[in-house]
Amino acid sequence: MRKTAANPAGTHAKLSPKRTRSPAGKIHPIVIYPFRQPGEYSDLEALYQLVRRLDAEKDRYARPITVLDRKTHYSMDGNKAFLDFRGHTLTRCSDVLDVWAVDTCQMWCAGLGAAFEDGAAGDVYWLIPGDFNYGTAVGQEVLGRLHDLPEIILELDQDVCIGEIATDYNNSKQIIDTYGTFALLYNWFPAEAQEIRQFTERPRSEFFAVSHDFLSEALRQRWYPYEQTVVMLLQAVFGNKSISRFFVGNISDLPEGREPLASAMQQVERTERVLKAVWREHHKADQDWLERYRRLETGSEHVRRAALTILQNLLR
Amino acid sequence: MRSLDYQKPKRPVSFICNAPAAKTVALVGDFNQWNPAAHPMKQMPDRSWLLTVELKHGHHRYAFLVDGVLTLDPHAQGITRNDKGERVCLVPVS
Repeated sequence: MRKTAANPAGTHAKLSPKRTRSPAGKIHPIVIYPFRQPGEYSDLEALYQLVRRLDAEKDRYARPITVLDRKTHYSMDGNKAFLDFRGHTLTRCSDVLDVWAVDTCQMWCAGLGAAFEDGAAGDVYWLIPGDFNYGTAVGQEVLGRLHDLPEIILELDQDVCIGEIATDYNNSKQIIDTYGTFALLYNWFPAEAQEIRQFTERPRSEFFAVSHDFLSEALRQRWYPYEQTVVMLLQAVFGNKSISRFFVGNISDLPEGREPLASAMQQVERTERVLKAVWREHHKADQDWLERYRRLETGSEHVRRAALTILQNLLR
Repeated sequence: MRSLDYQKPKRPVSFICNAPAAKTVALVGDFNQWNPAAHPMKQMPDRSWLLTVELKHGHHRYAFLVDGVLTLDPHAQGITRNDKGERVCLVPVS
């Protein structure tokens, strides 16, 4: 999925002023390399300029990790531009973690897990999706704000900080989250959904940072192949963790940023599947869990059907 | 809040609260220990309330006290909770 941003006030990505001493913990940047290799490299070049700067600040940042799906690698077999980019850019400023992954969330799990094993109490793990238009002016602005996410965790002792992208009301992401993600959350986890919405309208955001302690708990729980941000937010609410949200930029309503209907439907369906699984996991010890599950499942089907009808009306 | 002892330059930051009917508005946050008397805001000719304060580099939690009621800034860049568990705003200073 390709993302774009639309705030006209583009600025060059820059980090906070260099500090003379390292804060309590180190920040571990984890870049999720795009599954589909873009035809040109300007967005990735812009992203890796930031990664290079992070790699240079060794007292503050751990060596960045780039998670790269082997399917991506093999699809570019023999492609000189890709091999040059990998050899001259990726490996110079990051450790490339080659993984066979069934979905992006497995890449997250591999990257966060690898960083965690190199981390220590007090550290922060910062996920950076690679498939964003970072080369544009507004993308540069987003790059310039992303560092706030791990810094908020460190400075304000938070457990998870979600980076929020603003979209207009007709953007497919907004529609999916309003009529799909939140509607399903209200069905399966009404109290937790209200708590989550007090912080963010983007419970599926791919921009986030987590504390060492919270990641330690999250990695020991069942990990799902998709919609892992929703799962982590639920786990954060279950565990009474500190949640923050920080605005990182605007997504444009450009036609190329819109997802097709089939993709939107798939996202709603898989959110439902994940929520069902999390609910069962959370309530499996309850005596009446099956009866309650059946009732919620009926409601969930109504919600999903309504969401798909709305998506069909709005995105077709 | 964790104490970080690296150098923190101060920067002026302006806060604007749009509460035209309010009698008093104060800025409260980590930087004034949430003291309602520390940073009273000044009403401007357009009836909005303004205050500029110098803040250290980093992220600060804050809110407005509008006639004594803790109120979020709709234009805040972030949301979190304060030590009392109340939802408050975040402002980055770089």
